[in-house]
Amino acid sequence: MIKFTLQVRVKQSEGALVRILGVTRRRRFDLLHLTADTTEDGHFLDIQMTVQADRAENTLVRQIEKLEDVSQVDVVDPDEICGERRAARSSAR
Amino acid sequence: MKGAEFLVKALEHEGVELIFGYPGGAIMPVYDALLDSKIRHILVRHEQAAALAADGYARATGKVGVCMATSGPGATNLVTGIANAYMDSVPMVAITGQVATSLMGTDAFQEVDIFGITMPVVKHSFLAKTAAELPRIVHEAFRIARSGRPGPVLIDLPKDIANTVAEYGFHEDATSEEIAEASKESITRAIALMRESRNPVVYAGGGVGMANALDQFRAFIDTTRIPVVATLKGLGALPTTHELALGMMGMHGTKTANHAVQTCDLLICVGARFDDRATGRLNAFAPNAKVIHLDVDRAEVSKLRRADVPVIGNLRHALKALTCKLADIEQWRRECSNSKETHAWDYDAPGTEVYAPGFLKELSDRAGDDSIVACDVGQHQMWVAQHFHFNRPSQHLSSGGLGTMGYGLPAAIGAQLAFPNACVINVSGDGSIMMNLQELATLRRYDLPVKIVLFDNRALGMVRQWQELFHDKRYSEVDLSDNPDFCRVAESMGIPAFRVDDRADVSGAIDRLLAEPGPVLAHVLIHQEANVWPIVGPGRSNSEMLHQHEVAREVAR
Repeated sequence: MIKFTLQVRVKQSEGALVRILGVTRRRRFDLLHLTADTTEDGHFLDIQMTVQADRAENTLVRQIEKLEDVSQVDVVDPDEICGERRAARSSAR
Repeated sequence: MKGAEFLVKALEHEGVELIFGYPGGAIMPVYDALLDSKIRHILVRHEQAAALAADGYARATGKVGVCMATSGPGATNLVTGIANAYMDSVPMVAITGQVATSLMGTDAFQEVDIFGITMPVVKHSFLAKTAAELPRIVHEAFRIARSGRPGPVLIDLPKDIANTVAEYGFHEDATSEEIAEASKESITRAIALMRESRNPVVYAGGGVGMANALDQFRAFIDTTRIPVVATLKGLGALPTTHELALGMMGMHGTKTANHAVQTCDLLICVGARFDDRATGRLNAFAPNAKVIHLDVDRAEVSKLRRADVPVIGNLRHALKALTCKLADIEQWRRECSNSKETHAWDYDAPGTEVYAPGFLKELSDRAGDDSIVACDVGQHQMWVAQHFHFNRPSQHLSSGGLGTMGYGLPAAIGAQLAFPNACVINVSGDGSIMMNLQELATLRRYDLPVKIVLFDNRALGMVRQWQELFHDKRYSEVDLSDNPDFCRVAESMGIPAFRVDDRADVSGAIDRLLAEPGPVLAHVLIHQEANVWPIVGPGRSNSEMLHQHEVAREVAR
């Protein structure tokens, strides 16, 4: 069982989040954690999701990558994201 | 102009000639707009057939097939056809009516979330929210359906949007549909593996035809002289009579094709996806081979079998770049061709009943290279794949990935409308034909000269065969001895029909089929226990093919 975190940017469009979650389930990856925020300009949705599966992470990355409205997919270190967010929040203050 | 007129105008702009569909409440504005359009609408008798006919049209022509239905049950009836196109990467645009925007989400009459229902089986989908965006949506839908790895796209159109009056404005994006070329590095590495190999095999899939790469593929084979095995959808990438064509691989493949793959040291997969029906037990598949995988969809590469060299991108370019002379594979080529001779099909079966493989061989010889065969699913589908000769993949319309019984007749309708003068043959079985039998009425309505060969073994033959071989002959729900009189059914729908039950009558029956100017049905009775041979059992490796004589010996012991 491997566990990893993906950062996905998808165009705000009908069913965008459901489409990504659907691919994740269909390809047999279990969702452990999910956050999603609209970007400031309102055009995109930024999704962070942690999943686990018996399959290689590339299996999911490549399936999500080829969805029409997805503009970026990265495997990331979850601690880094949390760090960045904390930094972003504190700089906003 | 109304939204519905925008839609129709945009379809005309995309060059749509035919739409397969069925009207109903929510889609009525579009049907109204169609009255003033030059697009021809083909009224089927069940929406599933609309989607499958659009699929057949698309496979035969390479163009995007278009189907249309109303909301609710009309839309859900399309789903099997959409899924069929998705599994076999067929370019399709499906348009569904939807209840008015204000009623969506209220469980209104004939409301169904077709956008949600089809999500797993479309390449992309759109819900129209304004009339003004419809031309852009249609343009995008066609671009997505045919670009890269093709597939179906859904457009869900609420009735109020279809009725909204707005200004038509169309802005065509300058987006390029050119597929990027594979990297130079991948080509260099692939050529190095090809030069090292002593026993290479090319494993050709449906991608060859869909990438419009037949010329490049054939030049690649004629220069490298590597033996070729094909998937169901890859048949015809190389003419099946070509000296280097070893036949279909997999569960019902030829002994020669499976043996070549199992013993090769290099497998060059061209536009295929290591489907389980092709590979048998995956961890025993091509055990000694390094793999070069050419595909447009990088998600397919290393999905099931690790590729030593992925070659991702434009197939025409990649094949051209890989075309080179190879030394030292003469011995291997001879081995393959000797095996092909040793294991050639034997049409000399005992008995006087019609032998389906022999019937199909003769039909293929006489129907000629321009014929198109649309199959249903089951034993007859495998016999067609084994015994019909194909010169190009678009000649063979077969539901590979989804395995949709009922595909053949609608697909034949789609192909015949695309090529009115071609000899289009639907080979079906007594199980499959009943899944879309109502389309005989469509054949009659449009007077389409489709030749139907209906093999009847009074059983669900493929399931019966599995129960015989792998379930200790415990036959469960496979008996169809109460079939209707198929000749009378056809005749009642205005289709001439005749019965063939003796092998001596086969040549005469084929004469009659091919001579008939309009649609015709040949009801061909075959032995109930006729099986498809050879077969790789479930969970078995392709090295463990079962042959008829071996099974007979096993039973005798």
